This record gives sequence, C-alpha cells and structure tokens, in this order.
Amino acid sequence: MRSFFDYIPGNSFLHRLNPLSRIFLSFMISIACFSSKSHLFLLLMILLNLVLAALAGILNRGMELLKNLSKFSVFIFVLQVLFVRRGEVLLEMPFNIIITEDGISTAIIIVLRLIGATMPLALMLSITQMNDLSNILVVKLKIPYKYAFAFTTALRFIPIFASEMSAIIEAQVSRGVQLDTKNIFKKTRLILPLCLPLLITSMKKIEGSAISAEIRGFYLRTGESCYRKYFINWNDVGVLLFAVILFISAVFSNNIKL
Amino acid sequence: MIKISNLTFRYKDGRKNALDNINLSINKGDFLGITGTSGAGKTSLTYAINGVIPHHYNGDYYGSVRIEGEDTFDTSPSALSLKIGSVFQDIDTQLVSSVVEDEILYGLENFSVPAVEIEQRISSALEAVGISSLRYRSIESLSGGQKQKVALAAILALRPKILLLDEPTSELDPESSVQFYRILRELNENHGITIIVVEQKIMLLSEFAKNILVMDTGKIVINGSVREVIDRSSLLEEIGINCPRVTSLSNRLKEEGVYTGSVCINVEEAEKMVRSIIDD
Repeated sequence: MRSFFDYIPGNSFLHRLNPLSRIFLSFMISIACFSSKSHLFLLLMILLNLVLAALAGILNRGMELLKNLSKFSVFIFVLQVLFVRRGEVLLEMPFNIIITEDGISTAIIIVLRLIGATMPLALMLSITQMNDLSNILVVKLKIPYKYAFAFTTALRFIPIFASEMSAIIEAQVSRGVQLDTKNIFKKTRLILPLCLPLLITSMKKIEGSAISAEIRGFYLRTGESCYRKYFINWNDVGVLLFAVILFISAVFSNNIKL
Repeated sequence: MIKISNLTFRYKDGRKNALDNINLSINKGDFLGITGTSGAGKTSLTYAINGVIPHHYNGDYYGSVRIEGEDTFDTSPSALSLKIGSVFQDIDTQLVSSVVEDEILYGLENFSVPAVEIEQRISSALEAVGISSLRYRSIESLSGGQKQKVALAAILALRPKILLLDEPTSELDPESSVQFYRILRELNENHGITIIVVEQKIMLLSEFAKNILVMDTGKIVINGSVREVIDRSSLLEEIGINCPRVTSLSNRLKEEGVYTGSVCINVEEAEKMVRSIIDD
C-alpha cells in the first residue's frame, strides 16, 4: 500500500535540489501559512504547492493529497463554525447554535492554513529519499544519528502499518464483521478493538527493525560515515531566497484587507 | 569458525528452554541447513549466533557461542556484524531505506567503507544476486522475492565471512527459491562464504546444503551430512518433517523390493534410480 510519504523517483529541478533546501522551502511554506491571516495569500500558498508538485512531476499525488485534506477539513470547518461565537450573527438555530461572520472567516482561514501547511511537508517527503533526509539531519543539522534514523523509520513504517491494518480489517470482514457499515459510530466501535492487534504487530515490527539495524552496524556509524556529499549550488540559493521572500510576504499579507 | 558449547537459553517469561544444551561446531566454508518444525528453536539459534541473544532478548543464558574465538556474550551484535551478515524472515522490517541503492549503502556507511570502494561494492553486490536493473527502484514497488534479493545484496556488499539466513525463500515461488539457492551455492563455492540457512523446505537443503541440522523442542536431534540426515527419514517424519519426495519415492520402491540402492536425496539421484530400474 502506497502512502503520501513514499518516495517517487525523478530527475526534476526539485529532485536535484539539496535536500536541505527542500526541507527549508517546505518548512517556510508551512510557517508562512501559519503567519498569514489572508484568505488570498493562503489560497496562493495552496496553488504554489500544486505548482511545486507539478514541477516535481507528482501533480497526481498533490491533487490526491488536496482531496484527502479537503475531506478532513470539512470536520474542522464545521467545528470552527459552531464554536466561534464572535462577530455578526448570520444564522440562529435551535439549541442556541449560532453561525457568525467571524466563525465562517476563522473556519476558512484554519482550513486553508491546514491544507497549505500540510501539503509541502508531504510533497517534500515524496521527492526526498529517507537516506538523504537522515544524512542531512545528521550532517547539516547535527542531530544525533539515532534520532534521525528513528524519525525516518517512523515515516517508513506508516505504509507498513496501514497495510497491516487493512489486512486485519480484511480478516475480520471475512469472519463476518460488518465493517462496511455506513454508520460511523458503529464502524468506530468495530474498528477500535482492532487497534490492539495492530499495536502488537507494530511493536514486533519495530523490534525487528531495531535488531535489523543493529546487526548491520548501526552502532558503528560515525559522523563521517556519510558517503554522499550535499553541496549548495546557485539553484539552492535561489530556492532559499524564495522561501525567505514567501515568509516576508506572509507577514505583510496580514496588512492587506481583502 | 563457530563453536557453540552447552548453550541453553530461555526467554524472559518463557515456560521452557528455547535452546536446550546446544553443542555445535561449524567449519569455515560449510553450507549448513537448519530445519525443524515451528517452535523448534531454529530462529533462536540464529539469534544466538549473530549475538541478538543475549544482547537484545533477555532471559536465562548458559554456555557460550564463539565466532572465530570471540564470545558473542562480550561482543555487541553491531561488532559481530563485521563477520556475520544476517538476513531475516520478515523482510519488511529488514529493509531500512526507500530506494534499493540506499539499502545497500546503509550498511556500507555504517561500516565506514572508504568512498572509493563503495561504488564497486554496490554494483558487484547487485550483480551477484542478479538485480542490477533494480538499483534505482523504490523498495515499495518491489515484490516480496525482489525484496529478499535486495536484503541479500545489502548483506553481501558488507563482504561477511558468514552468511546467516532465516527462511530466505519464504516469499519466493519454487523456481525463484531454487535460483536463490544457486546464488548461495555460488557464494559458498566460489567466494568461500560460510552459509547457515534456516529452511522449512528440506528438498532445497538436500539439493544445495553440505550438512543439515535438525532441531526439535530446542534440541539438536540430528546433525550430519545431507545423506546421513535423509537416511533417517523415519525419524524425520516422526518429528513432523516431510522428507523430499524423491526420498519418499526411493524408500517406497525399496520397501516394494523394486530398488536396492541407497536412498535418493535429490532429483539427479532419483533420475539415476529410475534409469537403473528400467535397465534392470
């Protein structure tokens, strides 16, 4: 089962960038999204994410990601609309439920922010090999290797766990458990007990992975062990400047009333 | 090369010994197949050889395991990995990278192999298992069998003296399993690598291994050359291990009085047996 973090090989401009530039750009887009309260700016950030996905040749994944985040955002939108009670009341409903202008505006900002800030991280992981990621964390950011390895391993395990969960669900369905029910509460009640076998399998897999790393010289690794060299070239400088400009634009976007 | 003396191990909270008074010597250049039913202690024995027992799994540990004179009790699994390359049964947990090339690179970097040597080691390891074309492929896109070959290539790149494999053909079809064992035989015969392989399919062991070790309830039941082990087919079946079909066939023909020669252990011998019966 493929996840949104699986590496997609390629030779695009973004693939060729130093992994550090990619990490920096994606984090700056996320920070820019959190720094801005402008609907237009946040929309532009989502558009920028899609443009970057297209440049990397992974537009399909970008669109898929957008679709899935949009589904999830519906819940957040509804919650925000119902709980923010400031501002001009637009609609009054029974049980003292009110919908306000501020509620809708805040909900839109939060949803756009969530999508805009999540997409670049997932897209960055799609075009960055785990080895490059952990090497950069160790060599450039001076993070101890065991933490960098733990981080990349956690990402690598996401599709494995998803696949395990789907196998457990299939096994239950074949035994007659009605997991295909449309009733969300019933479905949740049926799925929750399945988390225990998933947890047990996950623990076993994590243990196996730790042993596997150890018997391939994990503890022999030193700071100088990294084979690949990661140079910064003019393309990287351009991307780093672009990322900084994005952040500054985000701050200034708050002064523009639209 | 490997000397196991009076080894007994019981996992923490275990009810019985996973390994029970194991005494075993494995010589340099051997091709040893370990077989037995589930729970016989095969995987525990491999863990004891590569140092995962006692360093990773706690429990009651008695006796000693020495690799070229070095006691595994006093040496970490990482340090032992300089001599022993291990391939596990669950291949998804074994692979730590997202691309095949990176998977091979992982161990080489850990071992601080000089940069000038790395390229050559990667390409020769991939070539040895016949997966050079997969070098830049994403691991997620590979089949179970291809992943097993990647795991083997990743270990071969480290140039271990001993190769320890736990059910390496569990995800392979019969044809690919034979192909995989041919690679192991080539490594054993032409590169002098000592091979220790846990395998349920005794037919493969009878075809490729030099010696077979049969385990049951943590003990070594039979240890000898392929012929010595297969000759005791009634004991094997008593334990729950099915003999190769060619062995069962020759036993049956002997019982019927049609054949009087020695028990067949592989297809070539079976072919000779059938020809001799036809000629007679």
